[in-house]
Amino acid sequence: MRARTSLYSNPKPCKHLSDYKLRYGTTPFENLHEFIKAGLNGRARIEGIEVPRCSSCNGYRGRLYMCLICSAVSCLNHLGLHTQSGDRHDIAVDVERAELYCCSCGDQVYDSEFDGIVVSERVRDLPEDKNGGFEGVEERTSKRRKLKLDPGIEDDPKKARTMMSLGDHKEKSCYPSGLRGLNNLGFTCFMNSVLQALLRAPPLSNFLIDRHNHDKYRNKSGKNPCLLCEIGTVFHAMHSTDHTPYSPARMLYSWWRHTPSLASFGEKDAHEFFISVLNGIHDFSDKGQERNDSEDKGNCQCIARKAFSGLLRSDVMCITCGFTSTTDEPCFDISLDMPTSNLSFKGVTNKSVEPNERTCSSTLFGCLEMYTRPERMGSDQNFHCQNCRGTSGSLKQMSIKRLPLVLCLHIKRFSQCLSRRIILKNGQYLQFPFSLDMTAYLSSSTVRNRFGNRIFAFKCLNSDSSVAYEIFAVVCHSGILQTGHYVTYLRVKDQWYKCDDPWINEVDEETVRASQTYMLFYVQRRLVINFQRVSTRIASAVKQSSKG
Amino acid sequence: MSGPNDDNHTELSSYFFEDLLDSVIVDIASECHRIARLGLDHNLDEEEEELRLSEEACARVADPSYNGEMNSKYVVDIFGQAHPPVATEIFECMNCGRSVMAGKFAPHLEKCMGKGRKARLKMTRSSTAAQSRHSRGSPVSAYSPYSNSTSAHRLANGSPAAGEPYSNGTSEEP
Repeated sequence: MRARTSLYSNPKPCKHLSDYKLRYGTTPFENLHEFIKAGLNGRARIEGIEVPRCSSCNGYRGRLYMCLICSAVSCLNHLGLHTQSGDRHDIAVDVERAELYCCSCGDQVYDSEFDGIVVSERVRDLPEDKNGGFEGVEERTSKRRKLKLDPGIEDDPKKARTMMSLGDHKEKSCYPSGLRGLNNLGFTCFMNSVLQALLRAPPLSNFLIDRHNHDKYRNKSGKNPCLLCEIGTVFHAMHSTDHTPYSPARMLYSWWRHTPSLASFGEKDAHEFFISVLNGIHDFSDKGQERNDSEDKGNCQCIARKAFSGLLRSDVMCITCGFTSTTDEPCFDISLDMPTSNLSFKGVTNKSVEPNERTCSSTLFGCLEMYTRPERMGSDQNFHCQNCRGTSGSLKQMSIKRLPLVLCLHIKRFSQCLSRRIILKNGQYLQFPFSLDMTAYLSSSTVRNRFGNRIFAFKCLNSDSSVAYEIFAVVCHSGILQTGHYVTYLRVKDQWYKCDDPWINEVDEETVRASQTYMLFYVQRRLVINFQRVSTRIASAVKQSSKG
Repeated sequence: MSGPNDDNHTELSSYFFEDLLDSVIVDIASECHRIARLGLDHNLDEEEEELRLSEEACARVADPSYNGEMNSKYVVDIFGQAHPPVATEIFECMNCGRSVMAGKFAPHLEKCMGKGRKARLKMTRSSTAAQSRHSRGSPVSAYSPYSNSTSAHRLANGSPAAGEPYSNGTSEEP
């Protein structure tokens, strides 16, 4: 994969464009700016006093281009004429789209300074929002800020080596360390599957390796047990030399004491357990004291937050005036809707649905795209714009302001059928990648898209987070919720293992790719050394296909 | 009845419709051109590669001659062990001290901690004082700052799922 030096590359100008800029600089662009009208959907156009018509044929249909030297408007048919007649009049602008066009090359061309002026028109007219709006036009910087990692989280090669050598300890079994079955304690596969995935998350496992004081709070009586300590216990049990399946009874007990509302015998939602456990870790930091959530919302540095927490941004834009209000909310994961076309009633029958021919949106990318798509909220939503008091409605758009180190994507397969109090399940196959690039779903990308993808550096939206992810665990569900079964596929050093309660077996990559996924766990690629082989394999496959 | 007027109308409509259609097509072409030229779709190749791999995987797995696992039962695991359907390990319950078999631990714990419906019914018959002892606990999910944006799918606390042998019994918890 190409290394990217910025969110998008400034394309090299054709020689006519560079020539033009050398001769005239950016003055013509600036002169144009009062005629640029930017719309709310990222489109822009050139609007003058009169209706533009071709100076040669007086036509008004089709694309019209205005020469940036003499302002003569030509239609496509007569553009050539104009170029030939004038002295190097080869740069024009598409009147309807405010896009630069090189008549000699016969192609649309791009210039960051021109784009900057187009964006500044839009930004100038925008009412500003205190929270996340734009504080003005800024020159595009070519520098890229490197993300500063927490010292606790790994780029440290020594720590990484420790992690890897932990895997090499087992000369006997020659299987990586940390693989161990978990006994089903009675409909507890939901817990087992999440534990298998959780304990494999690099930041968490590195943290647990170092934790020496996990026995410190074991004897607290009367208070709620420390879930982090319990997880640490399970973690060390998984890495012990004993290969017989481990019974996470204490974990179940502690979790029940911590979350009484979910404490009952019977199958549960694995995702619910996952969130509950992370909340439990968050509540109890290393200090072992109960936290007051409101105080620590911003400052928490618990491992759950460090590893899994990201920031989701919600933008609500008034369609009347363009005023955008922004709210950011921390999250441990992202729950994605599935396309609802094939939702079948599976509440009572236990028949498995055949994986249908895949529709274009039954891919993970499709779900992510749906999630970050601008959604029109109708006028029945009681929307009152705080800027213009308009009530015609708004556009709501979700995006990711900050990506977590470990990205958990939850596929919303279960839905409650309100009329019948039955849980329905969507068993449709969902395609998912092993290597995931999250660039398109970042707030910086969605904002840029809102402005027509113009080349412009928006202040306060620098995209410096790492966007490349590699999958390391998949939790799958089969059957219906009440009597269904969870298994986890783990990827360790390029080999996939199936963790089915006490059973640990090797499986093919294809089995995993074809499985019915429920929760997908990705980790930032830079945190994992041993996934290099896979990404180079894909990269070389891509190179092969592009050569041929 | 078609007269000269009607023909003009039809012609005019097509005329303008074509204009609009052309304009829309060029809009999209221009956007895509910009995206491609600026390199915003740089990972398109990788995405397609992943799609291809998934398709191949599904085809292979669906093939009846595929001998991979897919719900098949294993004889042994990677450590050479076999496991019974219900876990047989015996250990001590940390709540009451009794010896319990692993596979039956959850139902035991439920009664032991007084969580299940049957256990609770039994208790309300005996005394209410004992019940209040067990209803303390922090409803973490209510206060957590990390709620999911949409949770329509979730098994709501307290909603009894059909077919469950024991009711969730969660609605009583404060």
